[in-house]
Amino acid sequence: MRVERRCVIDADRGAVWKIVGDPDCYPTFMSSLERWETANEQPAGVGARYTVHWKIGSVPVGGLVEVVEFDDLRDLAWVGITGISLRGRIRLRDAGDGRTKVTFRLSYQAPGGIWGYIADRVAVRQVGRTTADTLRRLKVLVESQG
Amino acid sequence: MALGGYRPVMPDLAGVLEWARSQVASRVPKADLDQRDPDYIRDQLPRTWLLASLYFRADVAHLDRIPAEGPVLLVGNHSGGNVPPDTFVFTLAFCSYFGVERPFYQLAHNLVVSAPPLGWLRKFGTVAANHENARTALQSGAALLVYPGGDYEVFRPSWERNKVDFGGRMGYVRLAREAGVPIVPVASVGGQETALFLNRGQWLAKLLFADKLLRLKSIPISLALPWGLNISDLAGHIPLPAKIAIEVQDPIDVDGDDQAVHDKVTASLQAGVDRLAARRRFPVLG
Repeated sequence: MRVERRCVIDADRGAVWKIVGDPDCYPTFMSSLERWETANEQPAGVGARYTVHWKIGSVPVGGLVEVVEFDDLRDLAWVGITGISLRGRIRLRDAGDGRTKVTFRLSYQAPGGIWGYIADRVAVRQVGRTTADTLRRLKVLVESQG
Repeated sequence: MALGGYRPVMPDLAGVLEWARSQVASRVPKADLDQRDPDYIRDQLPRTWLLASLYFRADVAHLDRIPAEGPVLLVGNHSGGNVPPDTFVFTLAFCSYFGVERPFYQLAHNLVVSAPPLGWLRKFGTVAANHENARTALQSGAALLVYPGGDYEVFRPSWERNKVDFGGRMGYVRLAREAGVPIVPVASVGGQETALFLNRGQWLAKLLFADKLLRLKSIPISLALPWGLNISDLAGHIPLPAKIAIEVQDPIDVDGDDQAVHDKVTASLQAGVDRLAARRRFPVLG
């Protein structure tokens, strides 16, 4: 299942990247986040690992994730190592007039065959709300700092 | 033909009881921690997530209070008769939060682990409730979930649903002390609203010798789906979709005498249950 939400933030990419490029800041704007802990000694960048859980449905869902793409001012992507299969990406692009278009994508797949598929379908609305709310909070955070 | 003396044709009652007890005991599987299968659990998580999220609208809070690694004794109050939703909801939450890779076992009544249709529970890490199995699990470095109240607490009347009552059992304190692990209380509400539990039926268990034969202290009487009047609950029941709320409490170190630690644990659990119960507006609906 893939969920994607976008927004335009009234700030340049540098200002947005200052927050997006520092995963330690994620608890301040990510919605439904129950747990975001550094899991290895690696500084923010490719290879850095975090234990991440979002409250989806009745329990925290997530696991250990590793940053696999860290393209300054442009893209940050991670994949899940334990827990459900998960890929996440935050993508920054110029939107003109000093503004930045931010895209937040989450792709996930629960195990368990048909039950996993049903669970994915049931969760998709909540995941959609979580990603949209995350972007809303990121926008408020960045614009309040500008 | 004359009889040389009295020779009983049937064994006496004590013999029958002993024979039946040994039959049940011989069918209780030995705890084999290797039977836990993380891949099986992982495959089952979506199904249990659906049941927990849609049917029981479960809410599990403060899993972060459980030590992130190492052995720990999780002590819960137990509800819901022979179909206790709190156990599977907490198991789902624990496995989701810490990952199926972290060893996690649950103690269950002998009858549960020896029932052939419930053999799959052993893949989840369920082992027979006895001191040896519990010690083995903790010594292996695993987290262990126990419900000291057992069949006594799980069949309390529904009007006592928010009362923590272990029936005086505190062997878990000695277990934690011997293993050198902290106790983390796990409070839950809602399970006792999945049926209308009327009476523990301890008098019935004594009358039928079930306490001696099967270690059953209760033969409970309840009103439950689909049976209506449900005596014993051995065949289980269809639980009402009561909202299940679980809150993990702060760890308690075992540094006093058994009674003092037991009092701390039950006080912590009761406070958690009271907090969760205060948030409920209606039975079942939550």
